[in-house]
Amino acid sequence: MKTVRRFCGILIFTALCTAVALAQPALSRPDKKIVSEFEKKAQRYVSLRNKVKIKAPKVSGTATPDEIYANKVVFLAAVRSARSTARVGDLFTPAAAEIFKRLIETEFTDIETSELRKAVLEADTSGVPLEINVAYPESKELVAMPSALLLTLPQLPKELRYRFIGHSLAILDRDNALIVDFMTDALP
Amino acid sequence: MKQLILTLFLMATVCGLAADPSVIVYGQPVSSDLKVTLPLEEGSVKFVAIGDTGSGSRQQLELAKVMIDYREAIPYEFVLLMGDNLYGSEKPVDFKEKFEDPYRPILDQGVKFYASLGNHDESNQRHYELFNMNGEEYYRFTKGEVSFYALNSNYMDKRQIEWLEKELSKDRSRWKVAFFHHPPYSSGGKHGSSSSIRRIVEPIFIRHGVDVVFTGHDHFYERIKPQNGIFYFVTGAGGKLRRGDVKKNSPITAKAFDEDLHFMLVEITGDLMHFQVISRAGKTVDSGALPRRSP
Repeated sequence: MKTVRRFCGILIFTALCTAVALAQPALSRPDKKIVSEFEKKAQRYVSLRNKVKIKAPKVSGTATPDEIYANKVVFLAAVRSARSTARVGDLFTPAAAEIFKRLIETEFTDIETSELRKAVLEADTSGVPLEINVAYPESKELVAMPSALLLTLPQLPKELRYRFIGHSLAILDRDNALIVDFMTDALP
Repeated sequence: MKQLILTLFLMATVCGLAADPSVIVYGQPVSSDLKVTLPLEEGSVKFVAIGDTGSGSRQQLELAKVMIDYREAIPYEFVLLMGDNLYGSEKPVDFKEKFEDPYRPILDQGVKFYASLGNHDESNQRHYELFNMNGEEYYRFTKGEVSFYALNSNYMDKRQIEWLEKELSKDRSRWKVAFFHHPPYSSGGKHGSSSSIRRIVEPIFIRHGVDVVFTGHDHFYERIKPQNGIFYFVTGAGGKLRRGDVKKNSPITAKAFDEDLHFMLVEITGDLMHFQVISRAGKTVDSGALPRRSP
């Protein structure tokens, strides 16, 4: 019985993985190359931030608020300094941004547009600077990213997050809230 | 025997054989101090569910006081947080004023808090020792025969979905309880049901026999009529209130309360989950018991 249950579990899990894979839209070969470049750049950012992370005080799963705050402040400063020459569009190159817009538009067509717009625009992100290499203000709420969209867009390394700021799509560092890059007019 | 009869009756009601298909409701709301409707059985799993707490407001403190007082009558062991644990800034002083100070007496008594993340929470809260997240944005823990799944509904990506599917598929616990911020079902005027989350998690919950789901985000209390056999609660007024926000005559509402802050007291014993909802004024605004889905 146990074996049957385990087998069924594996089957369902495989089916889910397949469904998730199928949920990702098919891209042409040139588009795949652009997305692959985007993913490499995202990974390069992660390598850089991991390299300078050692400058920040360590933080464990049982940290105090002081330790968490000290880590964030030092980590943020270190990454900002390490990528002081970064420019808007380093990750979202014009070609990549074009693909992202297309992917999002496809998603917005497939699912009720109004529903997704509501989910994205319901958060108040006014006052969040649309600027790279600055921190997303901790006093401002974050836009909950619609799952369907996350399953459509290229998957980021776990240290990075997609977030909408108004109609713009940004990439944030999960641990220090740095705005790594953004593209405007992402929301149709 | 009594337990068996009660369970059979509950199963019958859930199957739609009685007038109220959702739960047994324990009488009318009462106003006496420290009214207890839970059975308080030895060895049961007793906890509090509360959401959207971290305002640091006078109202949060007043509700926390009632919650602390109630622990003398109902010795709950831990607290589930539905997210929005810290509104506004997240400096060390904010952790103190919006979390540690309000709940200090029960923290000192050893009551553990298990947090999930809301849209006002930074991911770094996962490191905070008193939120018991052990550095993870989504995690699972077990108490007795109950498995608890804390999810991050702000960012339900492929990694998290695969993790949830994998954990649930090997979970043989008698009860499976999920908690997170955005409600798959809600009658809120401001936010309402998060269909984006529902579309992803509900099929997984159904497939793996999740019994109960606690959420927040909407700043009121709502017990949802069972959806596909799952009981959903919105408990999002632990520190902020959106008065009058529950849509009138919503077809999914079994019971709602949007006139004051509240928290939920919960006791799981055998195949029943008992609950009692307490307002800031100390009134019991809802109570009852529900059976688990997959006996």
